[in-house]
Amino acid sequence: MYEHDILIVGAGLAGLRAALESIEAGKNTAVLSKVHPVRSHSCAAQGGINAALTDRGDDWKDHAFSTIKGSDYLADQEAVEIMCKEAGENLIELEHMGVIFSRDEEGRLGTRRFGGQSVARTFFVGAITGSAMLHVLYEQTVKKQAQVYEEWFVTKLIIEDGECRGVIAMDIHSGKLEIIKAKSVILATGGAGRIFEPSTNALICTGDGLALAYDAGASLMDMEMIQYHPTGLAGNGILLSEGARGEGAYLLNSNGERFMEDYAPEYLELASRDVVSRSEQTEINEGRGIDGCVLLDCRHLGKSLIEEKLGYLQEVATEFRGIDLTEQPIPVKPTMHYIMGGIKTDFMGQTDVPGLFAAGECANVSVHGGNRLGANSLLDTIVFGRRSARAAIDYSSQINSISRSKEELNNETKRIQNIINKTNGERTSTLRNEMGEAMTLGLGVFRDTRSIEIAKQKILNLIDRYKNTSIDNKGKIFNTDLIFNLELKYMLDVALTMCVGAENRKESRGAHYRTDITERDDKNWLKHTHVAKIDGEVQFYTSDVNITKWKPEIRKY
Amino acid sequence: MKFAFFPGCVSRGACPELYTSTVKISEILGIELDEKALEAASCTGAGVLQEKNQLLGDTLNARNIALAEKQNLPILTICSTCQGVMSQAEYRLEDEEYRAQINETLAEEGLEYTGKTPTRHILWIIVEEIGEKKFKSLVKRQLDGLKLAPFYGCYLVRPSKALKFYEKPERETCLEDLTEWVGATVVDFPGKTACCGFPIVTINEKASLKMVGNHTSTAKDLGADAMVTPCPLCHLNLDQYQDRAAWMMEREIDLPIIHVPQLVGLALGLDPEELKINKHVISTKKLLTEISLKP
Amino acid sequence: MVQTAKQTIQIEIKRQDPEINNGESYNQVYNVETEDWFTVLDALIKIREEIDGTLSLRCACRASICGSCAMRVNGQAKLVCKTKLSVVEKNNKILVEPLGNMPVISDLATDFKPFWDKFNAVDPYMKPEGEVPDGEYLAPNDDMVHLVGVMNCIMCGACVSDCTVLEVKDNFLGPAALAKSYRFIADPRDGSQIERLQNLEKDGGIWDCTRCMQCVEVCPKDVDPMERIMSLRSKSIENKIDKNYGARHAKAFTDLIKSNGILNEILLILKTKGLFNIIELAKLLPIAIGAQLAGKRPPFLSHSSKNKNQIKKIFKKLENK
Repeated sequence: MYEHDILIVGAGLAGLRAALESIEAGKNTAVLSKVHPVRSHSCAAQGGINAALTDRGDDWKDHAFSTIKGSDYLADQEAVEIMCKEAGENLIELEHMGVIFSRDEEGRLGTRRFGGQSVARTFFVGAITGSAMLHVLYEQTVKKQAQVYEEWFVTKLIIEDGECRGVIAMDIHSGKLEIIKAKSVILATGGAGRIFEPSTNALICTGDGLALAYDAGASLMDMEMIQYHPTGLAGNGILLSEGARGEGAYLLNSNGERFMEDYAPEYLELASRDVVSRSEQTEINEGRGIDGCVLLDCRHLGKSLIEEKLGYLQEVATEFRGIDLTEQPIPVKPTMHYIMGGIKTDFMGQTDVPGLFAAGECANVSVHGGNRLGANSLLDTIVFGRRSARAAIDYSSQINSISRSKEELNNETKRIQNIINKTNGERTSTLRNEMGEAMTLGLGVFRDTRSIEIAKQKILNLIDRYKNTSIDNKGKIFNTDLIFNLELKYMLDVALTMCVGAENRKESRGAHYRTDITERDDKNWLKHTHVAKIDGEVQFYTSDVNITKWKPEIRKY
Repeated sequence: MKFAFFPGCVSRGACPELYTSTVKISEILGIELDEKALEAASCTGAGVLQEKNQLLGDTLNARNIALAEKQNLPILTICSTCQGVMSQAEYRLEDEEYRAQINETLAEEGLEYTGKTPTRHILWIIVEEIGEKKFKSLVKRQLDGLKLAPFYGCYLVRPSKALKFYEKPERETCLEDLTEWVGATVVDFPGKTACCGFPIVTINEKASLKMVGNHTSTAKDLGADAMVTPCPLCHLNLDQYQDRAAWMMEREIDLPIIHVPQLVGLALGLDPEELKINKHVISTKKLLTEISLKP
Repeated sequence: MVQTAKQTIQIEIKRQDPEINNGESYNQVYNVETEDWFTVLDALIKIREEIDGTLSLRCACRASICGSCAMRVNGQAKLVCKTKLSVVEKNNKILVEPLGNMPVISDLATDFKPFWDKFNAVDPYMKPEGEVPDGEYLAPNDDMVHLVGVMNCIMCGACVSDCTVLEVKDNFLGPAALAKSYRFIADPRDGSQIERLQNLEKDGGIWDCTRCMQCVEVCPKDVDPMERIMSLRSKSIENKIDKNYGARHAKAFTDLIKSNGILNEILLILKTKGLFNIIELAKLLPIAIGAQLAGKRPPFLSHSSKNKNQIKKIFKKLENK
């Protein structure tokens, strides 16, 4: 009954794309998600998806170079080549499925400019590209009558003889735990933004897949690479798309100056995100900010453009800040947004653990290296969602038996029940708030040895205190109190790997900028960092970056 | 206060008592109704015409308003549906391009829509223009002890943007306010801004009757002596179909439904006969005895 | 966030737990200290995190894009992440209830299965026709921009919650599914327009909508579902999928105003049901008799507008636009 060839955990863009591929190949496929698929955080992506279409004279190599430069040369170049080469074909496939991409006057797919790209190659749907794509993929899964474990939460991966053979998951509606056997598992669980506070991420972005993979022995790679998006709303951290700058919006300091002229004379507001965020933070730190923010100015774009192409931004600005973008600039600041780091995979999505695959934000192929360019994440999810499904299909074709031990389910049920039964402990939210504050201070846009150490000690302290947390809800049905507590554990584990990665990478590269070691050190540190649990111990090691065509250079915008 | 009177189709058709009572109360309230101004007007379309062709519907309504503008008069309506449809047209006509497009057609008749005086329902005029103090000074018969359930009618409460609730928040509670001004008690019930089912009564009678049954029986069970509504289409459904709805629900309802001008008329001291309150399907005899009036 | 004025708000929540009292609902009141920038969701999260972790609700993005957090506030469906507490509180109180027209799983988390079943029922995926091009399908940008309006729908369920027809007829497809259907019918790349419209003519389809505008009022994304349903109706009539009472009613209404400027209810009913539709007309006879007995005597010969020719001219000019 609960038995599949391929089980995909996470129903965002990467997960659903993998599912479609797997179903198309005739495999017994199921998707499992702790929320309904259309609630996945992919829906919040706004700006667009990059692709170099050769039939209009664009060159994938240019896109690849922009991506590699954007990554501060940490990306694995072969992986980037694959992504950029396959982009065009994947994009057209999406359009054929029905995504309502914007068009030019001839009715062909239209583009906008985006950060770090030398030409406009970002295809978009207003300012709701992620949502538009996610809904279309969901529609396709309806068409294909995909099986979805909707509102189920994975508590453990099943590893037998070193291979992944399924999951133990809870049906949130009934509270019952089940073993779901699978010949292969693809993790597509997204990011871990809630480790930080504030963050642009949804409350459900708690690094579940990362923690599960880590717990199962897979290594997490480049975890110190945390992207701060230049334009998050102050306070609640809600995202204002890069698309605004793509359409021509300016960033201004308290003197009304377009300060990016000093930091990135060529690309200005469309330099890579880490460069823009650092520039903003510098302006703020040096007293040219306003209440800890800079200003995003869209007024000169005009009402008609804002309505047609930036409608969702206008909605966010008016609803959450009472600001009309056509009349006023809006205060923004660097806000934690994305993790370039993730579960280490090969170019087909296979992790360190056989039978366990990963795609999307939770994975690190690596295509984004030290910094992700805007509109490359949507591309990453689609390309590697598809590829990881193909790898899983091949892999699962070679597996004959699926195992299961009832004992494992019993143990897990007991473990969960113990958590429910505990009383008089600290509240989940207390620890989560402390973690969020510590990580934002310790691993912010600017960090140093001391700030990282303080954060790490805090996380270790919280991991210890976690054992004595307790929850209010002792029931079975829709016990979100329990889910939050389990998510907290995942976040703490992942936060620790971020601290370990950050303290060990002794250079500044991409989004990891140390004020005590400001230079990039290609000689010693043109490497990926890895954090893994080996025999119960947290181990750190490095691996080489895959270089094909592009020799690392000084990065200037 | 002089207005171009837009009686709508139903008050000259199936609800003539609405027309009569409107004319009677206007005299006392000091509202001058100019009927000639809109002799050449058309039906508003009631939303039905709009579902087939919105441009056509908006043009007809712009024309109606333009006819009144020609006489320098704002329009007064007595039907939630007429009012709602016209307010929605006015809202769409705020767009300059759209207005210009429609004015091209109106120009052929020598008319122009400018939107300088928005259309208003007589209920709004009483609450906004006449106001509490003046109205209460005209009340001759306090309707104490009367428990009334308000039923606004969809078109008078949605969409709130087109009806300018943000500018005139008193519109959200105008029927309840009026009820209190005449000395009666408001019976609040969840369906007061819901749908009476009239638009689907010929298409899906069962669903329509359920709506009628739900709202009237809930109000009745909460103690209402009657239901008051500013929309004759709601009145038609809630009054004429109430027996059938009661039969479907296998219970008695027997809740009289009265028009706003009839309620106002009773408070202003007019006789029930003048207001044609005896011309309803659900009998108002008991209601009138409640307020010590001969039915 | 700059800390500003604090205020204690009394939040009353309609709760329900199948494991407590056989799932009977009960109201629980929480006193929450709030800041003036709080949304209703901020307050609910505060309850959940600091006061009572047993409260069940769904929320994720906090940015009005995922559609998780729709629920009723003071009786009306809202997306609580974008509903400011200061706008909805009355005397420092608010009432929060789960969405209507849906079974409740626990507290404010409702069962969306009926919602998704109806969504699935309209074949909510592209059905392109003809040869698949190598590159993209060509499509005018205006069409795509128009569809963004409908694509803005985040499937939050607010419209379905407050739909007055769904309260009395649970097989009505509902505003969300119908708006989704419109999205495909209005997409130049979809090849099954007629087939879709034919399906929507059936019982539970577009002609069940009572035009009450609740869906328009409560939609947090300005999708305007009722407008979409009306567009589907006019497309159906245009494509001669019009043998039902709803379409006949619309056509009869239009014809009567065209000829007279003003409506005649009796003729309207006769034209809608059909002059020779004895059975249907007989069912209406008791109503007509009731009206007559009450003394209502609508004129058989209707009034007409004084300048009905001008009205007819306008019809002729615009009726095929």
